[in-house]
Amino acid sequence: MSIKHSIPAALAIAAFALPAHAGKTLDAVKARGQLVCGVNTSGPGFSNADSQGRWTGLDVDFCRAVAAAVLNDASKVKFVPLNSQQRFSSLQAGEIDVLSRNSTWTLTRDASLGVVFAGINYFDGQGFMVPKKLKIDSAKKMNGATVCVQAGTTSEKNVADYFGANGMKYKPVVFDTAEAITSAFFAGRCQVYTTDMSDLAGARTKAPNADDYVILPQVISKEPLGPSVRRGDDEWFQIVRWTLFAMIEGEENGLTQANVDEQKTSNKDPGVQRFLGVSEDTGKLLGLDAAWAYRVIKQVGNYGESFERNLGPKTPVALPRGVNNLWTKGGLMYAPPLR
Amino acid sequence: MIGADAAWRARRRARRRRDWLLQGAVALLLVALAVLLARNVAANLEARQIKSGFAFLSDPAGFNIGELLFDYTSRHSYLRAFAIGLSNTLRVALAGVVLASVLGVGIGLLRLSHHPLVSGLCDAYVEVFRNIPLLIQLLAVYLLITELLPGSNDAWSVEGMALLSKEGLQIAVPEPGRLALLCALAAFAVGALLGMHAARRWLEVGAGLVALASGALAALAAWLVVGAVGGWSRPVLDGFLISGGASLTPEFLALWLGLALFTSASIAEIVRAGALAVPAGQWDAALALGMTRAQAIAGAIFPQALRLAVPPLASQYMNLIKNSSLAVVVGYPDLVSIGNTSINQNGQALEVIVIIMAAYLSLNLVVAVVMNAVNARVTRAPR
Repeated sequence: MSIKHSIPAALAIAAFALPAHAGKTLDAVKARGQLVCGVNTSGPGFSNADSQGRWTGLDVDFCRAVAAAVLNDASKVKFVPLNSQQRFSSLQAGEIDVLSRNSTWTLTRDASLGVVFAGINYFDGQGFMVPKKLKIDSAKKMNGATVCVQAGTTSEKNVADYFGANGMKYKPVVFDTAEAITSAFFAGRCQVYTTDMSDLAGARTKAPNADDYVILPQVISKEPLGPSVRRGDDEWFQIVRWTLFAMIEGEENGLTQANVDEQKTSNKDPGVQRFLGVSEDTGKLLGLDAAWAYRVIKQVGNYGESFERNLGPKTPVALPRGVNNLWTKGGLMYAPPLR
Repeated sequence: MIGADAAWRARRRARRRRDWLLQGAVALLLVALAVLLARNVAANLEARQIKSGFAFLSDPAGFNIGELLFDYTSRHSYLRAFAIGLSNTLRVALAGVVLASVLGVGIGLLRLSHHPLVSGLCDAYVEVFRNIPLLIQLLAVYLLITELLPGSNDAWSVEGMALLSKEGLQIAVPEPGRLALLCALAAFAVGALLGMHAARRWLEVGAGLVALASGALAALAAWLVVGAVGGWSRPVLDGFLISGGASLTPEFLALWLGLALFTSASIAEIVRAGALAVPAGQWDAALALGMTRAQAIAGAIFPQALRLAVPPLASQYMNLIKNSSLAVVVGYPDLVSIGNTSINQNGQALEVIVIIMAAYLSLNLVVAVVMNAVNARVTRAPR
């Protein structure tokens, strides 16, 4: 099914599209008055639409942050749900401005797809979920298992590598949507469901009884997830990249949605003053205004807030902050200085 | 007179020249358009820094495939992965064509029955399977298999000869597998020849069908005999794996049954329409000659109905082949599913789509050639 969507996209690039011009994306977004953002069709905690069509999630928040920085209004985003096969074709063809769809940053994707990753907003790794009643406590005990996996993901390759390296055999059953996989897995067609740990946690929330399933401790790959943009527009690339850094830097500076207005006047730290555009205008270097980072925090919140709201212990997904904590707290989240 | 003739010839020459020029110009325009398109594609891919070309086909694919007709691991090339995908497409299409034809011809002829219950049931069958979208039927069959069947630990077993569970259908096969296969093939040839010989005596056309059927029966008998003599390899549950025997996965079963049921409804209608299109006088003539009803169908009606049915039958077979590309919704690794995976491993959507299109086009051209040959035979025979 999905390939039917990527055909028009591929043909569009192929036949009619004009070569990209640097700097055009920002102008196009401003002229349109709307950011078009590619997100996941269904990824609890990352991008999920509720019954009223309201989007929530870590990746969704990032789209809003870019809109807040560029268009002064976090609500001016059009979300385009994409499955794993459509995502890069969509971006290449210019149907979306940013792809924020828990996509793994790899050399092949960075170097051959005509896209470029702007950073990492979630450090993930691939794992396995199994029904408790099978009494499997280690990934090494899965020899001969039938494994459900999503088409067109890095997971497909990782699982082949992992089973090969451990001298185990498996039978993959490949579906093209996450919904098809979860329904087949929960129906008992596969003994194992493999994908990124964060996805597994999200899928588990959709099980008839979440306690019947267990996520194994083994993590078999590095899956740095992040937003990407088309190649050839460095100005736009910088805006997207630094919006992500602003969310991380905001958390490091202790700026939150609630306190940012008060901090703007009371906090005399030169770093904070610069960040909020009070003392210096960092925005003009990016083609934005001085208050761009202020708006990101005010309208969307810092990285930690977004994490807690969408993935944290109080959400159904209930993921620990783990390696996604700030570098100052033992995690990997680190932003270069905004100066 | 001679002058008028020369003038007519000159006009004809001029007209031909004009026709050639016009057609040449159109052809040239098409070629130019194709070249322009190809150049634009190359330039755009280059400008967007997207890798292109077919060199990736010899790279290792890196992913595994669930159903294999021949040897393949993740270390094999993309080319081999596509070959596996194509073989899976062929397998399900061939099995689908056979089952859809058997069901379709049977249901189509039964719809002509004068018995109200029989014809009513067949009507219902046709209306149900023809009017529900194939996608929904596939999902429904797959759901039935994965939801209703027991897990592999407590599979439904028929005397240990067949296991039916969420792992699919496992059946016992004769122990010396290769010998059994050879015997079955030999039996098929003998059975088909005998069937053809017998059928020729009372059938004008359609003897080929009888030959196929008798061949298949003979092959089945030989298969069972080898099994009874040499013993059976029975499916046995071993940890996660069911080993021994031969297996059909739930994905294959769902796609196969879904395609066959959907297409058989259309084939039934084609067969019925063909039979009804034979003029009523043919019935009268056959019966007046003292034929029984069955003889009339076999000797007079069916051969003529077949003539009418072959061309639309060809397009149903082509539809079935194309519809098999819905495989990915039930997780069957056909050519499109493998293509999907490849596109995402290496991002070369355009090249993979071209490969898929070329494969389906070639498959359907082969069907067209075969069905045209069949058509030529059945239309020629009754003269």
